[in-house]
Amino acid sequence: MSVEVVSGNHAAGYALSVAGEANRAARGASCGIYPITPQTEIVEYVASFPFQKSRVVPVESEHSAMAVSIGASLAGARAFTASSSNGIAYMVENIMVAGYYRLPIVMVAVNRTLGPPWNIWADQGDTLMLRDFPWIQFYAEDNQEVLDATLMAFRLAEDHRILLPALVAMDAFIVSHTQAETVLPDQSAVDRYLPELDLPHRLLHEDPKTLGGLAWPEVAMSLRLEIDEAMDRVDEVFGECRAAFRDVFERDPGGAIETLGTEDAEIVVVVSSSIATTAREIVKQRRAAGEKIGFVKIKMFRPFPERALREACNTAKAVAVLDRNYAAGVGGVFWQEAKAAFQGHRDDLIIQDYLTGLCGGDVTPPMIDEVIADVTTRDAETKPIWMTAP
Amino acid sequence: MAAKTLPQTVVFWALMLESAKNTMVEIRIHGRGGQGGVTLAKLIATSRFLQGQSVQAFGLYAAERSGAPIQAFCRYSDDTIHNRNLIYEPDHIIVLDPTLVGPGITGGLKPGGWILINTPASPDTLQEQFSSNRLATVDATSIARRNKLGTRTVPIVNTALAGAAARMLGFDLDEMRAAVEHLGFAGSNITAAEEAYDQLRVFEPASLPTVSRSKGASSTGLYHTDEERGPSFVEGAGGGLPGIETGLWATEQPHRQQFVPPCNHVCPAGNDVQGFLAALANDDVDNALAIIVRTSPFPSICGRVCPAPCMASCNRIELDEAVNVRQLERYAGDNGQATVEPLTTRDEHIAVVGSGPAGLTAAYHLARLGYYVTIYEQGWEIGGLLRTGIPGYRLPPDVLDREIGRILSLGVDVEVGEVIDRNRMLELTQSHDAVLVATGLQELQALRLGVGDAEAVEQGIDFLDRSHRGEVRVDDEHVVVVGGGNTAMDAARSALRLGATNSQVIYRRTRNEMPAIKEEIEEALQEGVAIDFLIQPITLKVNDGGGSNQRRHKLVCRRMELGEPDESGRRRPVELDGSDFELECDRVILALGQSPDLSVFPEGTEVRQGQELLGLLETPVYAIGDLATRDGTVAGAIGSGRRSAFHIHNTLNDLEVPVTIQTETSSNVEVWHNDVIRSDSLKLHLFERRPASDGVAIAPEVRRTTFDEIHAGLTDPSEAKRCLSCGVCNSCDLCVTFCPEGVLKRVGSDLIFDYAHCKGCGICVTECPRNVVFMSHL
Repeated sequence: MSVEVVSGNHAAGYALSVAGEANRAARGASCGIYPITPQTEIVEYVASFPFQKSRVVPVESEHSAMAVSIGASLAGARAFTASSSNGIAYMVENIMVAGYYRLPIVMVAVNRTLGPPWNIWADQGDTLMLRDFPWIQFYAEDNQEVLDATLMAFRLAEDHRILLPALVAMDAFIVSHTQAETVLPDQSAVDRYLPELDLPHRLLHEDPKTLGGLAWPEVAMSLRLEIDEAMDRVDEVFGECRAAFRDVFERDPGGAIETLGTEDAEIVVVVSSSIATTAREIVKQRRAAGEKIGFVKIKMFRPFPERALREACNTAKAVAVLDRNYAAGVGGVFWQEAKAAFQGHRDDLIIQDYLTGLCGGDVTPPMIDEVIADVTTRDAETKPIWMTAP
Repeated sequence: MAAKTLPQTVVFWALMLESAKNTMVEIRIHGRGGQGGVTLAKLIATSRFLQGQSVQAFGLYAAERSGAPIQAFCRYSDDTIHNRNLIYEPDHIIVLDPTLVGPGITGGLKPGGWILINTPASPDTLQEQFSSNRLATVDATSIARRNKLGTRTVPIVNTALAGAAARMLGFDLDEMRAAVEHLGFAGSNITAAEEAYDQLRVFEPASLPTVSRSKGASSTGLYHTDEERGPSFVEGAGGGLPGIETGLWATEQPHRQQFVPPCNHVCPAGNDVQGFLAALANDDVDNALAIIVRTSPFPSICGRVCPAPCMASCNRIELDEAVNVRQLERYAGDNGQATVEPLTTRDEHIAVVGSGPAGLTAAYHLARLGYYVTIYEQGWEIGGLLRTGIPGYRLPPDVLDREIGRILSLGVDVEVGEVIDRNRMLELTQSHDAVLVATGLQELQALRLGVGDAEAVEQGIDFLDRSHRGEVRVDDEHVVVVGGGNTAMDAARSALRLGATNSQVIYRRTRNEMPAIKEEIEEALQEGVAIDFLIQPITLKVNDGGGSNQRRHKLVCRRMELGEPDESGRRRPVELDGSDFELECDRVILALGQSPDLSVFPEGTEVRQGQELLGLLETPVYAIGDLATRDGTVAGAIGSGRRSAFHIHNTLNDLEVPVTIQTETSSNVEVWHNDVIRSDSLKLHLFERRPASDGVAIAPEVRRTTFDEIHAGLTDPSEAKRCLSCGVCNSCDLCVTFCPEGVLKRVGSDLIFDYAHCKGCGICVTECPRNVVFMSHL
């Protein structure tokens, strides 16, 4: 183990590479890669990593990058890739295929605004458009969480009770390009954490078969239900992955959500990704001043940790959700999910959406203060409130 | 959208900053893309990380490229850092490029904080500008260059500034050295850090303002009014960022220049060749003619008889073959319409003696300048050798009349039958304000062939004059022409048309030394003229019988060989002993060259081109044309006439009107070069190869029988499109088409560069085939 000052992209590239390398005694590592700002450093890192057994394929587009990873995964390799923004949009068809093929591919996504207008800064709209796909999704707060979540994503995705692809998202530049101290685990530890990939439906030349051929409605629907059942098991299996992480790396990587002060909070601030760092500190200061306020960071977005969120808001009268994303005609996606989570459970709860830091805007401490001041005095919800940094 | 007034904000974020203030330091770095600003942030962060502190280092990224102003940030703290925002109120700032120094970069800087600037200037020179701060400077650029970090133009200054920052912030040099090494830098980077650490100069004001942390009058981030929002995508600019002046990123900018094309440079008449070709390429024949008659009144004549040095110098030869400028000039002269009028009226009366091309051109320009001009011609027709010395099959008389008519239409008077001797010259000087003498080369070079039969030997000029007047036939004769110039060719070809069975040219040197126009030699050979080289006639004898053809005479000739070059640069012919032989013939025509007749001038007069004949007469008298230059071409005579006209104009009016005419393409050429552009400065690979057009020529066997013009000329001016327009913008607009940023526009003949948004990529320069656009460093 070493601690280095590295960027979020570096942490992601490192995690993908050592995870792939951990499969060297089996079918090795493989990925299709295609660069895009601000993800480029990740694929550069992967392309220059001295794998013992790998096939890193530079391709001509994101669509092909995922296609290569699908093929590699079907052949038993530990497969992964990385992309961002419009690149993910172009990759979508194969992202969906990877999910329905039940392939444990891991993708690191750097959240960047979908254009037009052209904008390279942080916005979660690119990965949240995949929310209805059979993919597990994590949103990482900082460099360390990018690395930890990526390693856990492999273990979770490859578990035979799950067998679903997983993505780990981070904010463009705010995390991807910020250098900060990060624990980089040794290969030997990663080898212990990630056993060799054993894909049950792996393609074998001695046993040829077709995957994903024509299926009649009752069969296809049954496969959908199978995915739903796998999603239901994620909570439990993820808990095991977290415990194993603690055993191997001697650190707690955190759970699906993180809470602070929710045991007695009347107001709860719900955030994700890098906004959590600043929001957590504001909540700490306010609690120190005697306010009954709590903090929830949603790290795992899909499957959405409904129950955990409900429990965290047990004592709350109002919840402020900060969304760095916008679903057209609706509002923030995290807010929508939160609303659904409380439906039929807490119909008295005020759940107000604040669209903060869209398209890369800085979410500053004064903005979070304003959110708290607003939600505290509310007696009803309104449509989502749009906020920009002053 | 919900717009709602929020209650008074409780500023807990300020408490949060307060709690961190004793330990967290925030630094903002200003530089340009490529200088290593983000790495500098990482170097500082790493040096603190290695001391056990929590750190952040990051850049503010956009679509920058090398040279664009950038910002980078660094935080370090004893406690975990609980902030992921940009740094709005830095404790210190570091400036990598001194050109960025200004009030803009110190925004939010805490009073008393350090400003570290990469500059050779002393820090106290900046104290007025930044009175509330401590100042530090170091010449990191020189340190980086000395240590060969980056390139000479873009030195990478980050490791030097890391050393300087360490000193400024009170770190141990070893702590920064450790960071530099930790990031994998070695050798000269460490030396640079050490040098900067040692060379840092600081200035601390006697009193600094009290450090008070802003409580941040927090304005709400809500959109309260429409004014706080950006433009509509539909009504505005699609949400784009027209406000970003990407020109700030540029380290180089394109500019427009113009060179002298070789054709313009060599034209003896001083014509704007490229200019009139451009007009023809644009199908604007009238404008082409208007451009030519600014300098020459004889486009139809030069378009037929000029040796065309423009074509010999044409850069297009390197691609395929020269542009057929001669025929294009003829096309403009024959098909264009241009009105010429005197520009003003003046009182001075100027005499021009001689009506050849030099005299006529001088008269033309003087008349246009408004002078009263009288031409004195000893013959009964004007035109000089243009009329008598050039056969009609090359220059039809109606063409000559038309162009002379243009000159006379300016109000030029002509006195024919005026023989000017020395006395008459004195009279002219008394009755005129200036006299130009353009009598050409009247003295014909003779050759003593020692024969009594003077009928058999004749000067070429005289032969052509008699031919012109219809006074000579040479039916069934064998005619020998001695010489290698245009007169020899004209005489030999005329002899064929006058009935000769054999027309033979003998020349004492070789074809390489022949002064005649290349095309004329070709045409003569096509028509059946024989040309024999390295032969010198010695004597002419009456044929006393014995020969097979029964010609009237025998010309005794001697073989020659080429020796050392003479003063003309051509190799001198040397006689070969014992090589004499006899050539039977009926007639010998001498075309050996001419020399000036100076008998009209006072004794001792020295004739120089465009020069006043000093001290001899009170009135300015000038010798012009062949009389002064012995050039021997129409184009040379035109140039001499025009230069002399302007010289007189300047002398009489004490002016300095320039004689040279620059191609007038547009008003926004920024750099005018006086040097000639050569083919190696052009991008010839961008042009298609295409053979030259030469129009319709009459078959040799037909034309040798008649004095009708041998060439019908071009049927259209499309040949002009082959002109490469060397070094002169011809609005091809490749630059505009290929500009990836759309910051280059054409407005009329101007190229407008939008420097506020031009990033200096240089594609316009790469695409310009004619070296009109160039990059210059900022």
